[in-house]
Amino acid sequence: MPDFARAQLRRQRANFALFLGPALLLLACFFIAPAIVDLVLAFTDMDRTLAITTLTLDNFSRMATRDTRLLGALGITAIFVLSTLTIFNVTFALLLALVTTAVPRGMGAFFRAVWLLPRMSPSVVYALLWLWVVDPNERGLLNQILVHVLGMAPLDLRNDHPLLVIILANGFIGASLGMIIFTSAIRSIPEHLFHAARADGAGPLAIVRHIVFPALRWPISYMTIHQTLSLLVSFEYILLITGGGPFYDTTVFSLYAYRRAFENGQYAYGAALSLILIVIGVIAALVLWRLMDMRRLLQVPRIEVH
Amino acid sequence: MQVDATVAPDVGAAAALRADWGALARRARWKRAAGQSGLLGFLLVVSVPIILPYFWMVVISFTARSGGVSTQVLWTACAVIVPAVLLYSVVHLLAPSPRVRVVAALLLLVTVGALLAALVGGQLHLANYRFLWRTNIIEEIRSKATAGGQFPSVWTAFFNSLALALSQTAIILTVASLAGYYISRFAFRGREAFLQGMLVLHAFPAMTLIIPIFLILHWVGLLDTIAGVILVLATIELPFYVFVLKGFFDAVPWDIEMSAMTDGATRRQAFRMVVLPQVRAGLIAVAVFAFIRAWEEYIFVRTLLIENRNWVMSLYLFWVSDDIMGVDYGIVAAVSVFYVVPSLLLYVFCQKYLTQMTIGGIRG
Amino acid sequence: MARVELTELRKEWAGAVAVAGVDLSIEDGAFIAVLGPSGCGKSTTLLMLAGIYSPTTGEIAFDGARVNDVEARDRNVGIVFQSYALYPNMTVLENVMFPLRFKKVERSDAERRARDIAALVHIDALLERRPSQLSGGQQQRVALARALVKRPHLLLLDEPLSNLDASLRLSMRTEIRRIQRELRVTTILVTHDQIEATTMADRIVVMNAGRVEQVGTAKDLYEQPRTLFVASFIGSPPINLFDGHAEDGAIKVHDARVPLNGSARGDVVLGLRPESIRVDGSGTPARIIAVEPMGREVLYSADCALGRVHFLEAGAEARHREGDNVALAFSPNDALLFDRSNGQRLDTRIAG
Repeated sequence: MPDFARAQLRRQRANFALFLGPALLLLACFFIAPAIVDLVLAFTDMDRTLAITTLTLDNFSRMATRDTRLLGALGITAIFVLSTLTIFNVTFALLLALVTTAVPRGMGAFFRAVWLLPRMSPSVVYALLWLWVVDPNERGLLNQILVHVLGMAPLDLRNDHPLLVIILANGFIGASLGMIIFTSAIRSIPEHLFHAARADGAGPLAIVRHIVFPALRWPISYMTIHQTLSLLVSFEYILLITGGGPFYDTTVFSLYAYRRAFENGQYAYGAALSLILIVIGVIAALVLWRLMDMRRLLQVPRIEVH
Repeated sequence: MQVDATVAPDVGAAAALRADWGALARRARWKRAAGQSGLLGFLLVVSVPIILPYFWMVVISFTARSGGVSTQVLWTACAVIVPAVLLYSVVHLLAPSPRVRVVAALLLLVTVGALLAALVGGQLHLANYRFLWRTNIIEEIRSKATAGGQFPSVWTAFFNSLALALSQTAIILTVASLAGYYISRFAFRGREAFLQGMLVLHAFPAMTLIIPIFLILHWVGLLDTIAGVILVLATIELPFYVFVLKGFFDAVPWDIEMSAMTDGATRRQAFRMVVLPQVRAGLIAVAVFAFIRAWEEYIFVRTLLIENRNWVMSLYLFWVSDDIMGVDYGIVAAVSVFYVVPSLLLYVFCQKYLTQMTIGGIRG
Repeated sequence: MARVELTELRKEWAGAVAVAGVDLSIEDGAFIAVLGPSGCGKSTTLLMLAGIYSPTTGEIAFDGARVNDVEARDRNVGIVFQSYALYPNMTVLENVMFPLRFKKVERSDAERRARDIAALVHIDALLERRPSQLSGGQQQRVALARALVKRPHLLLLDEPLSNLDASLRLSMRTEIRRIQRELRVTTILVTHDQIEATTMADRIVVMNAGRVEQVGTAKDLYEQPRTLFVASFIGSPPINLFDGHAEDGAIKVHDARVPLNGSARGDVVLGLRPESIRVDGSGTPARIIAVEPMGREVLYSADCALGRVHFLEAGAEARHREGDNVALAFSPNDALLFDRSNGQRLDTRIAG
């Protein structure tokens, strides 16, 4: 092999190591490895002692037959995910996107910024604010309005209707992402289409139906899948606001796995539960990948020298 | 060609329509006013549940005295501000000229400021912020140590957070830009597979891996260290940032690199000296976003950090509120405000960069 | 069909003036072209007529009634955009039928009308296709059909031919003219191409920098341009312009002194169209600098006492070569004189 080619090859390998190496290393250690560990762990009996003594299918049989709490958690998960998704993450996000693009630009941007506030603030702060709002005493903002303005009795939302609280809390966060994506999609519709529709006699509702919705079909499906996955898997706000309670009343599946592992020390069982989520996650990720326009992302390189 | 009777304009109908211009104009004016005010009203109503609590938190931090929390200041302030906002909205809708709007805004601002100063000014104080300079605040209030040990000073938590966020950002910037550039510019075996893999990882929810991550860090001895958390956080977000930066690199024209190479640079030099400066906007966007994310992280730090001295701001706030919530709202509110302000400031001032982040055409 | 009147129409965008006071009166059934370079405000004026933009000040009237506040959808205006703006998720037939949805027309009726218009515009074979499956010319005809199906009072065309290639442009020009004559609908065409304007419209409005420079027939604009801008915009190849100074009954241009028939003072511009200069033994001496055969005629550049001059000679073959010395002459009536300070044409003529 001529010298030039050999030097090329050496540099090629060096480049690969230099540029991609760090990323590959990190991903292998803290992304791939945990997935494998979880897979193995699900078949062990690791508990509080952090020791593995046997390999067993006990975790799965427990899941399928002996765990009564699990059923409850599944039910709560279903209610939580469906309600939050349909009411807030998709519908309300759409509404916000439509309304903020229908008012003058500056005003729309202002209100979008307001609705991004929950997502942009730290989860601890957001959760704290919710706790203060639904405080069962007269201090709670909600109760203040109910008692002084509407003349009703004070409510204890956190204990009586905890599911409602977490749906609202997660909903506000969820709506903001959809709002951004949908707004961007609406903005990319060529202005001339709107002009033509207006000259053709279409009113605002007809314009939304014939011009806006067709352009939003793809973002809506993408958001639906993406947000379903996100709601299935994240429990941060639930943990902060209700802790999963009272008792297990707001413990969704993902939180259930977490609590079993870190509150009860049943690490293997938690891993087994998480495994299910991991599988769902992989499937959903593959579906999303199919939906995305791979061709655009795979621009072929044009320089072949190293 | 014979003119088809059905195609030529219908003179009769046209004449009838002509008479209605005035009515149409009046109806259109009405519709526009009603429509815009309706939309604006809707937006104001749905935004109140969000603005009010944040505002309340700020108010509490400046007015609450040890013991209770009252909403009197809040409602007084609202009583002044809400009419002002409504008044401004009306002005904004009716007067399209920018000069009138600015004048109206300034007038209202001054009036509101004066009224607020008069009505509630006396109740403002900074006592709640004393946690910033008196580090034993929690013990003082509770008159005993809690949460399994001494409460660290808020500044410990602050600098831990800072270290965490800055290191994580540095790692992400370096690793993601190197990887993003390589994917964007080099042909290598398995490029497509790598991209597909990254795409799947990006969409995959990393939260599900928290249990095994905990165990892995324990086994390598990085549990309860800031360093461990830094590595974990950096890795989890990596696929997303690699894609974002790849997008920015894709947008740099090939000619620039080609000319650098004909000028004698190796590809690494071309990367460092010519291409990297072109994606500065992308790097800033990624840096700001990554920093804010790390600043606000809760679940992973809660799970992976245990010792008090390792606490970051999110944990500090959590335990403070957990401990003295019923006793002293004011301090909790003040800590909250102190915690939120940096990320909000960053978000506001760097918004221009953040909105440029896009992955495959979807903006984040 | 409607009579359209624009009175002191003005449009400002955040301080930048797009349309700076336009007065125009268009009779029922007329075909008007608004001609001007890009950015002169012609498209903005069109969109104000359609009701898409609102005038900052000024008035738009249909048949004498003020329509500034009337919504776009109530104005019954048909508009064809430069980009055609066809709805991508509908078939051609659905696109054409779209305006009829809002006119409370029965579906069967609407379909019949759409098909009739499609036949008129020759797109009846394409009705089941989607816009992405059509060529540029086909898309443009669909846009035209959609604009006409509602039997508009006013038809507005925003640079409809600029995205078509040359041969298509020619046939579409004839098509549009034919359709307009049959339907007798008041039509306003906006374009930067003077050939389009002169071949299609009855009258031409020349606009520049948000203002109307002149209104008239093609002949008027060509022979009696009111301003320097009109003179240089109309006519291809463009008019020769020479800066000069007038005093004592003559103008001094470069090295020449041209006697005037009448009085004029101050800085002037002398205009001579290339087609009005001919090679004549008794004329001013000139030296050929460049020869450009243009197919039907030859364009020469020559230096003479007036300066650099371009002139045309009919015939495909060049009769002179670079470096040749010739004598050039022009008829005094063909020369145009403009006041250099404001671009207005002066009445003073060149002496014989």
